[in-house]
Amino acid sequence: MIAFDSITKTFAGVTALNNVSLSIERGECHGLMGENGAGKSTLGKILAGIYSPDSGTVNIDGKSQSISSPRDAMRAGIGMVHQELAFCPDLTVAENLCMGIYPRKFGLFLDRKAMIAKAEKLLAQIDVSLDVCQCMRALSTAQEQLVQIAAAVGTNARILIFDEPTSSLSEPESQALFGLIERLRARGVTMIYVSHRMPEVFRLCDRISVLRDGKYVGTMTRAEATQDAIVRMMIGRSVTDYFPQHLDSSAGDVMLRVRNLTSPGKFNDVSFDIRRGEIVGFAGLVGAGRSEIATAIFGLDPSASGSIELNGKPLRLGSVRQAMSRGIGLVPEDRKRQGLVLGMSGRGNFSLASLDRLSRMGLLDFAEERRQAADYFDRLRVKTPSLEAPVAGLSGGNQQKIALAKWLGRGAKLLIVDEPTRGVDIGAKAAIHQIIDNLARQGVAIMLISSELPEVLNLSTRILVMREGRLVGEVPRAQATQERVVRLMANVAEATS
Amino acid sequence: METQSIAEISSPRSSVRKFRLPRMQELGLVVVIVVLGAILSTYGWYDARPGHPNTFLNKDNLIDGIATPMSYYAIMAVGQTFVIITAGIDISVGAIMAVSALGSAALLIRISPHYSTSTIIVLSVAMPLAIGLLCGLLNGLLIVALDLHPFIVTLGTMSIFRGLANVIPWDTLTNTLDPKTLVLPKATAPLMKYQIGGVNVIPGITMLICVILGGIYLRLMVAGRQVYAIGGNEQASRYSGLRVKWIKLWVYALSGLSAGVAGMVSLGRFGTASTSTGNTYELTVIAAAVVGGASLSGGRGTALGALLGTLVIAMIENGIYTLNLKQEYRLIIIGCAIVVAVSLDQISALINERRLARLGGRAS
Repeated sequence: MIAFDSITKTFAGVTALNNVSLSIERGECHGLMGENGAGKSTLGKILAGIYSPDSGTVNIDGKSQSISSPRDAMRAGIGMVHQELAFCPDLTVAENLCMGIYPRKFGLFLDRKAMIAKAEKLLAQIDVSLDVCQCMRALSTAQEQLVQIAAAVGTNARILIFDEPTSSLSEPESQALFGLIERLRARGVTMIYVSHRMPEVFRLCDRISVLRDGKYVGTMTRAEATQDAIVRMMIGRSVTDYFPQHLDSSAGDVMLRVRNLTSPGKFNDVSFDIRRGEIVGFAGLVGAGRSEIATAIFGLDPSASGSIELNGKPLRLGSVRQAMSRGIGLVPEDRKRQGLVLGMSGRGNFSLASLDRLSRMGLLDFAEERRQAADYFDRLRVKTPSLEAPVAGLSGGNQQKIALAKWLGRGAKLLIVDEPTRGVDIGAKAAIHQIIDNLARQGVAIMLISSELPEVLNLSTRILVMREGRLVGEVPRAQATQERVVRLMANVAEATS
Repeated sequence: METQSIAEISSPRSSVRKFRLPRMQELGLVVVIVVLGAILSTYGWYDARPGHPNTFLNKDNLIDGIATPMSYYAIMAVGQTFVIITAGIDISVGAIMAVSALGSAALLIRISPHYSTSTIIVLSVAMPLAIGLLCGLLNGLLIVALDLHPFIVTLGTMSIFRGLANVIPWDTLTNTLDPKTLVLPKATAPLMKYQIGGVNVIPGITMLICVILGGIYLRLMVAGRQVYAIGGNEQASRYSGLRVKWIKLWVYALSGLSAGVAGMVSLGRFGTASTSTGNTYELTVIAAAVVGGASLSGGRGTALGALLGTLVIAMIENGIYTLNLKQEYRLIIIGCAIVVAVSLDQISALINERRLARLGGRAS
């Protein structure tokens, strides 16, 4: 039904797609896998008219289609659910849903009633009920995503592209999404599912295609595919276990002592310790208050109260500069908004947190800055055309490595990593896990926040579980199972046997 | 999997290649300036009466016709560039220039009989700078403390400062002079009207000093890097421990200071200031900064660019005069030049991106 024919696309300095040919059959759910930077999102965006290819054609139903704008794509029956959600947060759900095709009265005035009815109908189509008159801002990420799917389905899309739809969803929310995708398939919608999460692709997709470094590697049906085979195709080698063999919990003295930390509306009465050389994993649903604790420890939450001690000495709350000078580093959750200055060079981003150390009397020491950036980029294997290239053009994995390098360069003693591998490919993910593990071995205390359970389970020496702003349990590594942690996260009592 | 230490995770092939882009914007401006200069000189040579110098390419025109009139704009454009890099805007600079020039003049006239020449010279420099800095601090304070939008804050303060400039002469002058125009004591003349070869060089020199200082600040200093970071991504800057509010406050203070410097130059050059000093200068200043490569969405801009941007505008203005075009068309021509310059910048950015894409294609 859809045939990509020798598609090539380059962005500033980087070839995203190199002569990719791939066909997708009517009514199937086609998984598109590959490491970040492999070009899978780019391929989806070409079909959705967001990018136009440098060369090559897209054929739909045997006809060559020129899709040069999202509007063309909409006309051709193609909808896309984006990884980064794009909405007007201050408009209502109904206004967002009807954007571009507002119902009118007398051809001039907005027909509010018809708009609300239409929005409700769109949501009902995917079995969702929401108050359509509330502002988009009030919705959770999962709800926003549902609205986006409703909008895409509502344009009578025959073809739907999902770009990493579960990257910001919690487990139950993902399950709900999978149910929806299965219903859409039953209705005959052709779907392209871009992801690098193995289990969900295996669960949902009829066929799986793999891209590597912008090139098409191959396609397998679900029946013939195995996880190992796909991973091999994705990274070009076999990986049996991509988590580092982790150290046992032979941790040192208490590095961070948090007592009764509270921030109204975010988290309540949280107390815990992190020892030198420990990796303490924080598990919980999205919105359980984990990232909020991280920002409070880093001094970014002015309304936080309670006490924090670092190396036995109290830390003043609400001062980033004090947190930094005492050796705390934060690799934030959202690298594009909080972690990096996208328009700035890799070198500039690297040195942003340690400008005070890379200068003499207010003047920058360029040679030292360049030397250190090159050194850390080499160590972390950051792939970039040059130190001077803006980080906006790099893949997610490389961006995340730069966000990490920034704090490694400063030499943090307590490193808080929030979703360190979100939107990062398998190769970079393994590398980032390795980096975190090595830091712990060198005695750095690590607070690891992740929504990906295997990551928390395999990397942490101890797991703390949060629910609705409270710490609800601690599970030592030896006893940590996925089931046990999920039960704590979702407040389901352990089955007594 | 074997465990490695971080130091061991280093790839044998260095993935970080050295590769620098030329500064497209500034290079482009230099080309434009050279071409404009060539056209004007050719015409100036052709137009000159026999035995007379080139009407464009002569010392008097280059300094009195271009460098001196553009100095106010360029000085303020450097300050404006700081603000624009942080994704802000300061439209009160023209009014600050007026209030610093007038305020200083009013004070200098009152105190001149009591002080020595050297004191007066120092005051004639320090006063307008201090007034400009204070005005800028007020702007910054309002913008940072109350988190107001810089456009609307400086729109308000523009009116306030201009109003102050209207009030000062009436209140401070009891007897001596025409209330709308103040003539400075002769004591300031030795410094401010210093001449080399019969032309007044102080405005041009002050302008160059400002550009050099601004360039050092932005390019070589930590504080400058922080200005770019805030404009590129304010939140990420906060997450990196930058004192975003202080830096923003300081940037508006610097813009005010630059307007104070312009006020000082204007005061010194004319030996007087009037309520219309610096009127509508803010528009040319912003245009010059943007033509010079500053991006209104933040993160981009240079001091040298501000100078070159102003120079382009000043050369066109001067060209209208030396080419004997009708003065009525001045605004239209300047307006078109600004629009063309900004469009060209966008187009060259696109071309550059393509070029990079090709380079990248070959490299991979």
